[in-house]
Amino acid sequence: MKREDQRLTSEQVAGIVKMLGLTTDREFNCGECLQHVSEFAEGRLVNQPVGEVIAKVEQHLALCPECREEYEALMKILKAGR
Amino acid sequence: MTQNEINWPAALRAPDSGEQAAAVKALRELLQHGLRIALHGRGDVSEAHLEDFAQESLLRVLDRLDQFQGRSKFTTWAQAIALNVAFTELRRKRWQDVSLDALMADGERMTEPAMLADDVLGAEEDRTRLVATLRHAIENDLTPKQRAAILGELREMPFDQIVELLGTSRSAGYKMLHDARRALKQRLQEAGITGADIQNAFNL
Repeated sequence: MKREDQRLTSEQVAGIVKMLGLTTDREFNCGECLQHVSEFAEGRLVNQPVGEVIAKVEQHLALCPECREEYEALMKILKAGR
Repeated sequence: MTQNEINWPAALRAPDSGEQAAAVKALRELLQHGLRIALHGRGDVSEAHLEDFAQESLLRVLDRLDQFQGRSKFTTWAQAIALNVAFTELRRKRWQDVSLDALMADGERMTEPAMLADDVLGAEEDRTRLVATLRHAIENDLTPKQRAAILGELREMPFDQIVELLGTSRSAGYKMLHDARRALKQRLQEAGITGADIQNAFNL
């Protein structure tokens, strides 16, 4: 990591603060998210109401940039296939 | 027969049959097609990469067939696995040269005012107080590994890479990060900064 890259940006600090705002005692991990993200994505495509499990997917996606990146790519595929 | 009409799990399990071979071939093509759409425009992905990702994804899907519970279409479930395979590999390549020493040293600098300046979120009093409280909590309530892991996440380092560098398992890594977030949140709450305040301040 280069020295000039080390200072945290306002976006990164806001990212920490947002992350803390979303933190709950029981959360999905990436594996649990992957198990359910396909039903979440299909539900999103048709604006289906969010159930308890799906809400946990949504919360994990808000916290995890990696799973969010994969979810957005999945939506791209689903939308292309409509 | 269309993709939606195929009973994929049954066809993929059909023992030593032409049906199974056809299903495997069709699924590999479907996964590769999806990956081509998802990764279109990326300079670090060639057609050869797409073929490798599709093959690796196919093996992963076949290995996890018993985990498919039918809550979504089979093809959506399989595409999600394929994307996880592809993005994990792409992230690993991007971050493979980062060392543990660099990650830990960077984490330690999170306690320095120069790195986490009071006015980084703006000069308003409530925001400078929030940042000062956060820096104090990072310094006093987190372990060096927790600081390094949180900073790694902020830098968008892959979680797999973080736990590998820190020499821990994925589950232990999750717990470490979750405990860190909870400790920081509690410290903010003790300072009178609630989850609602945070959500309002940042339009969550």
